[in-house]
Amino acid sequence: MTDRTQMTARVREIVGQVLDLPVAQVADELSAGSSSAWTSLNHLMLVSQLENEFGVVFTNQEVRALSSVRAILETLGRRLDSVA
Amino acid sequence: MSPESEIDSSTLQRIAAGVEAGQPWSAYQSAARALDRIPIETVPQRLRARVALLGSFTLDPFLPVLRVEAARAGLWLDTYLAPYGQFLSELIDPGSGLYQFQPNVTFIAADADVLWNQRWAECPPIKSEPVVGGLLTPLFSGLDVFDRAGSGIVVVNDFVLPRRSTEGVNAFRSKGTFAHTVAHANKHLRLRLSLRDNTFLFPLADAVTQVGRNHAFNWRTHYRGHVTWSDTLMGAVAERYVGFALAAIGKSTKCIVLDLDNTLWGGVLGEDGPSGIALGAQWPGSEFVDFQRELLDLQRQGILLALCSKNNEHEVLEVLRDHPSMLIREAHLAAYRINWEDKASNIRALAGELNIGLDHMLLIDDSAHERAWVSQQIPELRVPELPADSSQYANWVGSLPSLIVLQQTAEDSQRTRQYQESRSREEYRGSMDSVESFLRALGLKVDIALVDDESMSRVVQLLAKTNQFNLTTRRHDEATIRRRTAAGEWRVYAMRVTDRFGDFGLTGIAIAEPGAEAWHVESFLMSCRVIGKSVESALLARIGDEARAAGAGVLTADFVDSGRNQVATTFLPAHGFTLAADGRWVRSLQTPGPEWPDWIEAVTGKEAVR
Repeated sequence: MTDRTQMTARVREIVGQVLDLPVAQVADELSAGSSSAWTSLNHLMLVSQLENEFGVVFTNQEVRALSSVRAILETLGRRLDSVA
Repeated sequence: MSPESEIDSSTLQRIAAGVEAGQPWSAYQSAARALDRIPIETVPQRLRARVALLGSFTLDPFLPVLRVEAARAGLWLDTYLAPYGQFLSELIDPGSGLYQFQPNVTFIAADADVLWNQRWAECPPIKSEPVVGGLLTPLFSGLDVFDRAGSGIVVVNDFVLPRRSTEGVNAFRSKGTFAHTVAHANKHLRLRLSLRDNTFLFPLADAVTQVGRNHAFNWRTHYRGHVTWSDTLMGAVAERYVGFALAAIGKSTKCIVLDLDNTLWGGVLGEDGPSGIALGAQWPGSEFVDFQRELLDLQRQGILLALCSKNNEHEVLEVLRDHPSMLIREAHLAAYRINWEDKASNIRALAGELNIGLDHMLLIDDSAHERAWVSQQIPELRVPELPADSSQYANWVGSLPSLIVLQQTAEDSQRTRQYQESRSREEYRGSMDSVESFLRALGLKVDIALVDDESMSRVVQLLAKTNQFNLTTRRHDEATIRRRTAAGEWRVYAMRVTDRFGDFGLTGIAIAEPGAEAWHVESFLMSCRVIGKSVESALLARIGDEARAAGAGVLTADFVDSGRNQVATTFLPAHGFTLAADGRWVRSLQTPGPEWPDWIEAVTGKEAVR
């Protein structure tokens, strides 16, 4: 199972790459509402990058709910725990 | 802007180097943003290509991948992406964003989903013909518009069966299956594209095979947002697309410089001797035989091969001439430098001898040390990393993006012409219209005069040198020309050509023998610099007019096949000449013509042409 700290760091890195932000600026509060780069297309790609990276498939509800860094970390954490 | 502030290709390559093959899309996205931070005004024109993408699915995520792969090849892309779902309407509307963008290359990525959805427009599904026609008919109407209003080359993806079929083991017997629809569409796409100039078929199926179908498509993003290509497939397609972009702006490799030991054969010639090197039907020699075959396939398309090796020249020549398994022979080589001097100097010398820019040359050398030295000395040279494992050589060489040759061979274009002549009159006229509009845009001017003291040496030189567009390839010396013209037996025409982009100088010669009834065209040639500009029609028209004015009723001409002048074979029949029983070509002057192309302006005096 992926270590939680490692997972958090990797999520921040991916979000930063997709939205073109330095990792330091990828705060938990960062969300689709607060970032103009977080377009629906980037959301689609971000979700798929997370799925590929962590080997999970998100449900329809999850995909919609993943619209902030905090939500991503919580959802991913839950999913990875249930795998473990 | 001062030249100092301009970036060079290494800036682009450094950014691309941050993304390695196989990395996820997010790494490309991030690198593409780094490209965005380069101020656009510091990117010089010579590094830029304009690429348009028309897709039937969401291609936005493909843009960063394409731009980064282009940067890896030292290229900056200005891109245009057609609005989602509008790939056909963009192509058909000459006022669309596509045409305003004026691309160097346009990629059309219509995927098999379009065929699938049309097929299932009714249940049960409809058969191949209406499905294929339903897509290809508007597509080719669009390409007709592009011929007139577009710019650059067009590259159209073929169709790929995206998943395993449920059509059963008897599917191969049926024409109603989806597999048949896809095959049928590909067949027609290939045929119809092959009849057009400046259009190319992109083998998406080959790229899918390369990455494996199960890894090529991302079904989650496909269903969620029509992003069908996986990260992996985007990378593989981008790499190949970049080759087209390089070729479209004339940055392809023109000459491959080859090392010998452990590159063209295994082992070291100086130590192992001609019978000891690995080259032959059995492993390990077979690896090198296959590699040489691939290189010869490139050579056949017009890429020059040259050798640059630290060896004793006479020993290498012995292998080139006498080794039974050597496929690359002296006749295939444009030039070679086999000596003990440093490779960078030798490659510079090869570039000088072949008159090819170093940025159009590519070095294949197994020695990492030599590669590093040469790249450091000649930064503009392409020096790809040859795999350490020689069994990979043959497969590797095909993956080099800069080895795309767009220009067709004479044989191919001949075949194209035959096809074109058999096409319906309507379509033929369509293609003629586009050629004309191209020529009109050039703003051609010609100055046709009889040879004089000033033009004599250039006339003699052209007569001696011109091989391709030369009806008779008769080499006349200056004394002969002076004697015959003084005696009134010959009229030697010399034509200068200019267009909007430059002065081609004296590039056309014709020798006419005036007679009472008939004028005979003894020689007629064009420098290869002006082939395809229709200026030859102007020169012939001038001779025809003067012959008619002098009272002649017939123009005759010779065509002598020299083995190298295929490009001129259709010239006489295209201008109304027919072959008489005595082997001469004859054209009556009682009928109008040969016609002066009305897009060419006749000027006189050197001032006017400059």
